[in-house]
Order: sequence, then structure tokens, then C-alpha cells
Amino acid sequence: MIKYILKRLLYVAFVFVIVSVVMFGIYKMVPGDPARMMVDTSLSTSDPQRYDMLYQAARERLGLDDPVIVQYFKWFGNMVTGNFGYSATYRMPVVDMVGAPMRNTLLLNLASLVLVFAITIPLGIVTAVKKNSIFDNVVQVGTVIGYSLPGFIIALVFIFLFSVHWPIFPISGVNTPGLQGDAWQMFGDTMYHMALPLLVMTVSSLGGITRYVRAAMIDVLRMDYIRTARAKGLREKVVIYSHAFRNALIPIVTIVTSWFVGVFGGSVVIETIFMWNGIGKVLFDALNQQDFAVVLAMQMFYVVLTLIGNLIMDLGYCLVDPRVKLE
Amino acid sequence: MNQKHNANAQPDASGNGAGAEKQQKRQQRQERNRRRKRMGPGLFGRLFGAGGGDPLQEEAVQSPFRTIVRNFVGNKVAMAGLIVFVVLFLCCFILPIFYPLDVTYQDVTQQNVPPGFSIMDMPGQLQGNVVDMDAGSVFGIGVGQDGQVYVWGQLDEQQRDVPQNMGHVVQVSAGLSHFLALNDKGEVFTWGYNRQQLDKIPFEVQDLTNIKQIEAGHQISMVLTEDGELYTWGNENVVSVSVGEYQGTLDKVVSNISTALGLTKDGRVVSLSTNETPFSSIPEEIQGQVVDLAVTDKAAAAITSDGQVVVWGSTDDGVTQIPQQVQGNAKSVSAGRLHFTVLTQDGQVFSWGGNQFGQANAPQLSGVQAVHSGYYQNYAVMQDGTVNSWGLKGYLMGTDGYGRDVFLRLISGGRLTMTIGAISVIISTILGVIIGGIAGYYGGWIDNLLMRFTEIVMSIPFLPLAMILSAIVGNQVSELGRISLIMVILGVLSWPGLARLVRAQILAEREKEFVTAARAMGIRQSSIIFRHILPNVITVVIVNTTLNFATCLLTESSLSFLGFGVVEPSPTWGNMLTGSQSSTVIGDFWWRWVFPAVALSLATISINLVGDGLRDAIDPKSNER
Repeated sequence: MIKYILKRLLYVAFVFVIVSVVMFGIYKMVPGDPARMMVDTSLSTSDPQRYDMLYQAARERLGLDDPVIVQYFKWFGNMVTGNFGYSATYRMPVVDMVGAPMRNTLLLNLASLVLVFAITIPLGIVTAVKKNSIFDNVVQVGTVIGYSLPGFIIALVFIFLFSVHWPIFPISGVNTPGLQGDAWQMFGDTMYHMALPLLVMTVSSLGGITRYVRAAMIDVLRMDYIRTARAKGLREKVVIYSHAFRNALIPIVTIVTSWFVGVFGGSVVIETIFMWNGIGKVLFDALNQQDFAVVLAMQMFYVVLTLIGNLIMDLGYCLVDPRVKLE
Repeated sequence: MNQKHNANAQPDASGNGAGAEKQQKRQQRQERNRRRKRMGPGLFGRLFGAGGGDPLQEEAVQSPFRTIVRNFVGNKVAMAGLIVFVVLFLCCFILPIFYPLDVTYQDVTQQNVPPGFSIMDMPGQLQGNVVDMDAGSVFGIGVGQDGQVYVWGQLDEQQRDVPQNMGHVVQVSAGLSHFLALNDKGEVFTWGYNRQQLDKIPFEVQDLTNIKQIEAGHQISMVLTEDGELYTWGNENVVSVSVGEYQGTLDKVVSNISTALGLTKDGRVVSLSTNETPFSSIPEEIQGQVVDLAVTDKAAAAITSDGQVVVWGSTDDGVTQIPQQVQGNAKSVSAGRLHFTVLTQDGQVFSWGGNQFGQANAPQLSGVQAVHSGYYQNYAVMQDGTVNSWGLKGYLMGTDGYGRDVFLRLISGGRLTMTIGAISVIISTILGVIIGGIAGYYGGWIDNLLMRFTEIVMSIPFLPLAMILSAIVGNQVSELGRISLIMVILGVLSWPGLARLVRAQILAEREKEFVTAARAMGIRQSSIIFRHILPNVITVVIVNTTLNFATCLLTESSLSFLGFGVVEPSPTWGNMLTGSQSSTVIGDFWWRWVFPAVALSLATISINLVGDGLRDAIDPKSNER
């Protein structure tokens, strides 16, 4: 087990290096000179000599005169030691900048995670048990529609319903601007602002997960031990919740764990629409403002998230299902 | 048995979609031939030929392909999805041929027009009763013999709110967004758009009693008196009018979205703008003999006393191609935004110029008394007071914030969205099949290498990378290059799932006896992969490709929605929704987001239904799920 984890971690590191090379290559393709952006351009006409000096100093500081390979290793070394560079738009280190967005993203995604599974697991079980009933068919059609709709269309519909037609929830932001109050009031205000993005995020994930739970449950219900349990004369409730559901949990647990890692990632589309200051919004803004230090850091962060997510998913499989052997 | 299965499955690869019917016919023919062979050419067969009610006849064995088709056709939901998708697909690929889109077209006067065809829906009470009428940007106004004012078309609250106490109205005028009316006591009324001081009629105008002409223009109001004095109020930044030395000599005034021209009492055309415009270069030879004047956005036309029509200004939209029938015969002229309509002495009307809404398709009429044209509408008042109209009736799905027809953008955008989706799916399918096939068949270190590579591509988060690539590379290439780039990004990033599936399937297939047999017969490896194994994998590929198509549509739309995919002015379903995030648009201009959202949703839902149906049809076991 330990050996397997070590092997996987080594693999994670390997993929991380490869992706970092690719990303750095793309980053270097960006037109424009970051050093020029750091120097006051008005100097170039009034005092060209001083401008040139400052410009060269900036180049020196950014290490732009080094060969690309050296630049890459410098950047990689910095990144591994936790220095992700300096955000040009926020004028602070990237690490300090992402603190608040990360909290917002976590809050939104965790709430959505809880809601999604609180709804989908019972729904999946019921539809699996009452397979091909009218209820099941209705839910099936609903889930197909649910996972076919892009998040931004669901968002538009919900904004129309709950912000325009019935103005219940605010349309954007994390807090009411200029609100002063104690911690509880602030928290309540945030919750109020979170309602709409949370609703949209939950609804857009319902379809896929419900189908997943239903399929897992149906697979289990087909097993011999379910027939045995029924043959023993156990009550249907016991068969379903004690025998079947516990086994159906195996694939569900894995999907929960992989999602759990995903909560750090945030959703670019939903956070952008609702101006929710989260990680996805940070990436979106950084791309729009050509703040590539942030973009690069975010991209590497996403890669690590995916890789760790995969690892945890495999380990989760192994933990909940003793039949699975890791090799 | 497996070999035979192969032979049957082979043509299946091409047998999806439109080819299905042909395929079925071929299968039937094969079936018949086979049956004939089984019976042999004997007398029995010939006597009782064609198999009519032969009790000894074997039950036909159905080929796997026919089973799939039968299963699929029996699945109502999947068939409904297929029909919806085919209709959408045909709409997006056939309609743009008949309704081509000019991507750079914009029109400030047609912004945010709701869907509907009511622009020229004149009230019935006005028929046979018209005294004066005028066309505004997307509405009209008319007054009857009883002095009652009627408005129609796409009106907002303020425009519909006609003042009650106007008395007996004799003259009306409609502009971009407001109305003017004049009653028999010489009082002027205005309503509609009320910013830019449009609602504040100057005191000196309120005191006038000898008003001859009222003219509502582009956020500007003009009043001309019998003495030739011109008064203006409203937004003077768009149309700046300065009468200067001509004050007191004017007989008629006309305006468009940038300037105003006047006709003096001695038959001269004068520019009422301080700026030098194309309209200022008035042909000298007509000065002093002009009897009527009209101006489009880009050109002006005058009628001389001998009935000749002279056009100057820009030559765009064929405004200089004056019909020969009107020369020497013209009585009056009126103009829309891009076209002219002339009334001849014998009561006929002729239109020419810009014709994108049919505003220059004048009907064959005789006995016309007056013509009122404006923007894209024409109203011809007959001698008996009835009205014939032609031009822009409205927009099927309204217009967007730039005055572009949502319907045209929807069908052209659909074509682009589907093309991008289809090409990226083809790219990803080819990559997935090749990489998965090679990995699965050869195994060993090749498999290991390719699968590690697949995992690396999989571990790159899709949307962020696509955004980064299109933000960085996309800015340096042309529009077509950018669109191709999106296709390639989508295709190159979405193959790993399919590659893994194909690999797993091939791993299972290559251990089967028919592969061993083929190998023993010394058949080339490439031929074993592509002719013996691949046909057994093709079903997985087809299902996956269908579902992938929906995913690619969604991803492209998300990218375009965020502004990192296809960008304006080229429309896609995603970027048509980009401007629709504000609550104003969502609430008030619903047609701008509902139609693209519905189209995109229908497309993805129907494709997913077809994909699910195909999977169920191919693998009946999955029906259980």
C-alpha cells in the first residue's frame, strides 16, 4: 500500500514536471514584454536614458536575459518553494492574493457538494428500486435534460426566475457593498448572496450524479446476494438499505472523494456569471487582464488538483472495497 | 462465426445516419440472395418462388446491424431525439443558404426590437380615413379625418401613451423613438422617448400658430413655420442643425440620422449642417428648380420641376439606379434609411435602393395619392384613403443590442457551432481510435507509453487550458484561424476517454479465436487491426462519438460564452448569450437569450438522447441500467 502510494506520488511529480514544461512553453509564447510593463512609459519621452536604465534593471530582475532553460528552472524552483510569482493587476504575490477567493470557492462548493449528494443519493436509490416506473422515467428524462444543459443556461434561467421575475436573491457579488456588521451578519449576508450560485451549481450537477447513483444501485440489485437476501425472507427495506445500498456506496464514495478535491477548483462559468469572487473568477480575470503569472500558477494548481483527485479516488476504491487490489 | 460477424459489421461503420436506409435495403437484398441460395435453383424453389407463405421457410436470421436499427427505432425517446436533432441540423445548414448573414451588419435604429411582425399592422379604423401618417424606426403613426391619432408597431410604454387632450390633430410625425403631433389650433404635442430634452417643447414653439411642417428625427424634433422659420429641440449632438442664413426662407425640411437638409421657397436645396457632409455637395444644375426633397442615411434625392429625379451622396446599395419610368414623371419622393420611393404623376409608385427587408419591392399600384416612407417601411395612401404597405414587417426572433436579426444569427450561429463541434469530434475520434487501437493491439511498452501520455492529457484541466490557449494564441491569428484553433483545441484535448475505451475493447477482442486464426493465416498486422478487430470496436466508437459531440457543443458554447471561443461578430450559440448576463437583458429583452438558449439546449439534449438510445440499441444488456 505505502509502496503503491509512493509510486503514484512519483508519477504525480513526473506528470507535474511535464505539464509545467508545456505550460511554461505556452507562457513564453505570449507576445509582449513584461519588463516594459513594469517601467513607467512616460519616462521614455522625457528621460530616455533613465527609462532605458530602469528597463534593463527590470529585465535583470525578471531574469529575461537568461536562456529559456535557465528561466524555466528558476521559475520551477520558485514554484516548488511556494513562490508563485507576482500578480501584475493586484500588485501582490499570487499566494497572498488567492486566499480570499479560495475561501469563497470552498464555501460555495462544499455547500453544493452536501446539497447534491443529499438529493441525488435518495433519488438514485428510489429510481433504481422502482426501475421503469413512471416516476423513474420522469426522473430519467429530467436527468438527461439536466446533464445536457450547460451551466450558463441554467444560470440565466434561475436569474430570470429568482432575481428578475421574483426579485428574491441578489444577482451578483459575495457581500452587499459597504456592509458593516458583526461576523454573523456578514455571514448571513454572504449566505444570502450565495443562494443563487449555489442553486445553479447544485441543479447543474444533479443529472449526472443521479444517473451514476442509479446505475451503481441497479448493478448491485442484480447481484446474487440480493436474491439470497430476498430468498431468506428479509424485509425489502433491509434488503435495499442494508444489503444493496452499502455495496452501491463503493462507486459513490469514490466519486465523492474525487469531487471533494474538486471543491478547491471552483467553476469558471458560474463564478463569472454571479461575480462570485472565487478561484474560477480569479483565473477568468487574470486571463482577461493578461496577468500571466496568476494564470500559470492557477493552471499548475488545477493540474495538481486533478492528479491528487485521481490518486485519492483510487485509494478510496481500495479502502471501501477490499476486493480491489492495487498493483 | 466471428469472421462472419465481422463481415457483416464492416459496412456498419458507414451505416449511421443518412446511410441507414440504403444500408437496410442492401441488407434485405443480401438476405434474399442468401435465401435463394439455401433453397437452391431446384424446381421447388422456382414453383413456389418469392417465398409467399412457404411454411417450410426458415426464419430469417437478423444481422447485428438490423437488430440495432430495430432496437433504436423501437425506442421512442431516442427517435424523438433523432428527429429533433435532424430538424435542427437541417435548419442550421439549409436556412442560412436562403437567409445569408452579413456578420458586420449593425443598425442603431433597430436595437432590441421584440419578436413579432406588427411593425406595419395599421389599425383597421385608419383604412379609408387617412389624413397624414409617418413611419418611425419600428412603428408607425397615423391620423384619421376625425383628428384621432393611432399608433402601431413595436412600441414601448411611453410611446403607447398617446396624449389624450390633443384635440383635432392634422399632422403627425414619427422619429427614431418619439412622436410629434400638430392640431388644427397649431399646438404641438410630443411623446415617447423623453430624454435629451425631447419632451420639453420650447416656449417660442408653444406660442407659434402658423406651423407648416413638423418633423421628428433621430432624437431631434423640428418645426417649420409658414414664414420659413425653423425651430429645433432635442439631442443636437447626433444631428446638429444650424439654419444660419436660410432662416426665414425654408419651405420643407428633411432629416436622417446624421444631418438635415432644407428646401427653400425658391426651389434651392440647402444643407442645414455646419459640418461638411456628403450631402453638402448639392448638384448646382438643379438649384432653383427643386420641388421635392428626401434623404436616406447616405444619399439625397430631389425632384425638379420637370419631373426628373436627381440623386447625390453615396452610391451604396444602388440608390443611384433610378428606375427609368420615373424620370420626367416624378411627383414626390420619400426616403427610408437606405431606399427611395417615388410617386409619379399618374399615381404609380417606384422604390429602389437598399432592399434587405423588401422595402424597395414596391407593388404595382395605380391611383396613389401620397407616399409616406421611413426607415424600412412604406405606406402608399390611395385616392380612396386606403393604405398599401410594404417593407419591414418585423423580426421573427427580434433583434439584439446592435440591431442585428436574432433569427439570422441563430441559424448561422448554429451552423458554426455544429461545424466546430463536428470537426472537433472527428479529430478526437480519429486520435482516440488510433492511439487506443495501437496501445490495445501492441501492448507492452507501447501501450504503457501511450497510456501514460493519455493520462497526462487527461490530467490537464480542460476549460482552463482551452481558455489559456485561445487567449494567448487566438489573439495573433485571423478570425478563421481562431475558429480552426478552437476546433483543434477541443479535438486534441478530448480524445483520452475514447482512447481508453477503444484500448479496453481491443484488449478483449484480440484474445478471441478469429484474431488468432487471422494471425495464423499470415494476414498483415495492419489488416488484422483495421479489418478484423476494429469493426467489433466500432459500436463503442459510434456511441462515444455521439455523446462526445454533445460535450463538444457544450464546451465550445461555454468557451464562447466566456469570450474565449469564437468572438463577435461571428455568431455562435455561446457568444450570442455573452451579452445577456445583466438583469436588464434577462428581464426586458428576453428574446436575446431565450432563443439561443433553447436552440443550444435542444441540440445537446437531443444528441444525448440519441447517444443513449444508440448505446441501448447496441448493447441490450445496458437497457437494464
